[in-house]
Amino acid sequence: MQPEQAQATDVDLLHAVARGDELALGSLYDRYRVILFGLLMRILNSREEAEDVLQEVMLQVWRRAADFDEQRGRPFTWLVTLSRSRAIDRLRQLGARQRLADSAAQNSPDEASDAVKDTLHSEQREIVQRALAELPEEQTRILILAYFEGLTQSEIATRLTTPLGTVKTRMRSGMIKLRELLGERIKSLR
Amino acid sequence: MAHQEYQEMLAAQALNALDPGDELTLEAHLQSCAGCRSQLSSWEDTAAGLAFAALEARLLQPSPQLRGRILQAIHSDARALDRTKEAAEGADSRASNVITLQQREPRRWILAQTWGAIAAALVFVVLGASLFVLWNQNRAARRELGRLSEQVRESQQQLAQQREAIEIVASPGTRMTELVGTGEMPGANAMLAYDKGGRAILMAKGLPPPPEGKAYQLWFIAGGRPLPGRVFATDTSGAGMLSDHVPTEALNAAVFAITLEPKSGVPAPTGAIVLKSGS
Repeated sequence: MQPEQAQATDVDLLHAVARGDELALGSLYDRYRVILFGLLMRILNSREEAEDVLQEVMLQVWRRAADFDEQRGRPFTWLVTLSRSRAIDRLRQLGARQRLADSAAQNSPDEASDAVKDTLHSEQREIVQRALAELPEEQTRILILAYFEGLTQSEIATRLTTPLGTVKTRMRSGMIKLRELLGERIKSLR
Repeated sequence: MAHQEYQEMLAAQALNALDPGDELTLEAHLQSCAGCRSQLSSWEDTAAGLAFAALEARLLQPSPQLRGRILQAIHSDARALDRTKEAAEGADSRASNVITLQQREPRRWILAQTWGAIAAALVFVVLGASLFVLWNQNRAARRELGRLSEQVRESQQQLAQQREAIEIVASPGTRMTELVGTGEMPGANAMLAYDKGGRAILMAKGLPPPPEGKAYQLWFIAGGRPLPGRVFATDTSGAGMLSDHVPTEALNAAVFAITLEPKSGVPAPTGAIVLKSGS
């Protein structure tokens, strides 16, 4: 990453990408590859699939950067949302999660060798995981099912054999509590 | 739906967890509610925070080769060759790539498009079906109107005939002649009333409705020569009424008869006499 790009804000980088600056896209990738790859691995449970989706996401960013409007959202949220969306779509295409689990089991030796030390991400992970730990377990479970497995409220209700109204209430309560616990730190997450 | 209900959907929408029906409902509301769009953006920040919960204690990273593959991919991307051209593309082509309202997650946007397309198709089908139903109802209504109009016309005609019959019967010098069924129609009979001017009214009963293409025709037989009168039909009760005019030559010495003839009437009788007056 070039020095000036290391100091650039996410919005600056996206504007540069929108102008066709390939190095700016590389900088964005360097900045977010760990969190995005971790998210994709959590959803897809497969290194091959996660890398494939991450490449798709970055290509999408390259093509759509000009359409990003910082008035309507944060770059980090946009990147995470794009990644999660692509991963959930891929998960559904692949169908059986068991297949992915099998695939992941084959890949696990490689993952260990790719572990990286990242103080910032480790701290942010701690913040979010501590917040989740303070939520009632049934609320956390519903948020996890929705976020990482892409289940709708009805699907969660079926999965947990819980009334739909209860799922809705717990999901909303969980999100409200999570927002309270994260507070202003949400804006520093990236 | 109350505004609060939309607001209560926002957190779930940020997680993409709304069921399709709720999602469509909320998407429609978001089009016109900047407040909810702003709140949704805030909820999406919270949801994005969950990504950190995915991280393992030992952070993973993609293979070193991935960065090169990505940069190679964007370098060779056709759009990289002419981004100005892309910017000039129409709104329609942009719409397929742009998250227009806010930084929406593509799956949701595509889902909304898909549901939008399905909804549009359903609306089209429903509209088409509704139009077909309305068209059919209109046709039925027109048929009914035509039938009722015909009934009214017939009733008016009958009323006019009855008035005329009363006038004729009440006129001084009116003659009344009874016609009785022949061997063809032994149970039928009719009464013919005609005034001095020749205005005549025939009231028949016991005559079965004529077959298809046939009608009863009145004859004035004067001097052994049948003079054609008008044709008429009877209803299912066997009753029928006819207004006619007795020819001058038949006013004083005539035999009246009724035959079954072609519907349009004939100048000379061809069918058997079913009713006949005495001489």
